Amino acid sequence: MNDPYKVLGISPSATDDEVREAYRKLSMELHPDLHQASPLADIAEEKMKDLNNAFDEVMNLRRGGVSGDTGYGGGGSFSQSQSQSYGGQSYGSSQSAGDEGDNPYMQVRRMIRSGQVTAADSVLERPNLDRNGEWHFLKGSICYGRGWLNEAYGYFSKAVEMEPSNMEYNATLNQMNRARSGQMNGNPNPGPYRQGGAPMMGCSFCDMCQGMICADCCCECMGGDLIPCC
Amino acid sequence: MFGYIRPFKPQLKFCEYDVYQGVYCGLCKELGQVYGQSLRFTLSYDFAFLGILGLSLEPGHVELLKERCVAHPWKKTPCISCKGGGAPAISYAASSAVLSLWHKLSDDKNDRVKGVKGRLLNSGLVIASGFLGGTYKKAAAGNPELAEVMEGAMENQRRLEKSGEPSIDAASEPTALITAKLAEGLSSDSKTKRILYRMGQMLGRYIYITDALDDICKDEESGSYNPLLLIEGVRKPEGGVDRTLARETALSFFRFTMGELASAYVLLPVKRYKSILDNVIYQGLEHTFALVYQGKELPDERSL
Repeated sequence: MNDPYKVLGISPSATDDEVREAYRKLSMELHPDLHQASPLADIAEEKMKDLNNAFDEVMNLRRGGVSGDTGYGGGGSFSQSQSQSYGGQSYGSSQSAGDEGDNPYMQVRRMIRSGQVTAADSVLERPNLDRNGEWHFLKGSICYGRGWLNEAYGYFSKAVEMEPSNMEYNATLNQMNRARSGQMNGNPNPGPYRQGGAPMMGCSFCDMCQGMICADCCCECMGGDLIPCC
Repeated sequence: MFGYIRPFKPQLKFCEYDVYQGVYCGLCKELGQVYGQSLRFTLSYDFAFLGILGLSLEPGHVELLKERCVAHPWKKTPCISCKGGGAPAISYAASSAVLSLWHKLSDDKNDRVKGVKGRLLNSGLVIASGFLGGTYKKAAAGNPELAEVMEGAMENQRRLEKSGEPSIDAASEPTALITAKLAEGLSSDSKTKRILYRMGQMLGRYIYITDALDDICKDEESGSYNPLLLIEGVRKPEGGVDRTLARETALSFFRFTMGELASAYVLLPVKRYKSILDNVIYQGLEHTFALVYQGKELPDERSL
């Protein structure tokens, strides 16, 4: 049995607020939304469960072993039932519930989950399959698992385009869009002015404003006035 | 291909800098003792990162000692000394360095080069790789699976370059496979191996795209394969390269890769040196890519 304080990464003398903060920080890294389509999603889910259990155990111990309110409401913020609901089962496919066995898309999903990626891909390449949103999403998942992220993005985008209301496709595309905008899971220095690295995308508005003010000052030194109101 | 995995020095604490230097030092000594003194001068800091990654997972005691070095004998510098568990990471990183150097030399030899300077460089590489032959065999004997994967991946790389593969995902796959296998070998735990494999894949993709962007003008001149040159509009009809278009493609590739690298990294059971790994993964890689993006020179792969 893991030491719950070690799982949370804090010392046993931490305050309740520090415990909650540690839980919040780690749960943001392990949240299922951030590991959509990843081949390590099962490891993330397991770590999330361990984290929830550790948090519950610590809060229960501090309340003298009384179960119930653990600070974020019954059983931790991302309880067992919630984290399970992010698994492939709950989102399902665009097919109706109860379609099992001979449904090729469900077959492909099972193959992807068990790591039989090549077999899954050959099922998808069958000529009679309807190349709908589900097809594109599963094709994207196979590419993503293989590490072909650019191609995966193309397929996920197409899946969302074809079925814009599908939560699963949107969540996965959003995860990739977050990465595309420069966000990295667990980054201790997030934000547009994060320390380290020259900005790659060119000038931000602050850079432009700064530049204009400097230009205005230089202009005024020379007897002109670039920005009359400054 | 070497020298793209570096820390972001302005945010590295002095003690962390000492560790980085110390691991490099430990690796250098290991190379000298096991593979011969001449190879010590070929070591790049990428393998120090591999060593640090390995040490971060090990429970054993690691200490930094001040020792003298043949490169600068007038002062003592920190050098990693691993007791009770850390040494496997260092010896593994050292053999990885030898295997990688061998394949790099073979790869450079096969690249098309023009002019007298190019041909002289090529013959130099032929001599160097002949000289390394025995050393390679020794490293391969100690890591047969790794050596086999690297051989296969390099063969695939040559094949897809010859066929003019347009997909950057496909083009980066052999490199990604090599680095994935290199990283995976740092642990014996099955879950940690999977996490390391994924991290290695992403690091390989990062190295590939950064190298492709770095070499784009040189490859255009020499007619060498570069998937960025195969993007529509990058090659200008009048000659030369539209670097802006190429770098935007490289940037989105880089960002997706970094996102997935971070998602794997947060699952890694790091026991020590987390702040150093954070520095490299969240800041160092971006900083190096930014330098290449802006067309600037990178520091030498053998300096920190």
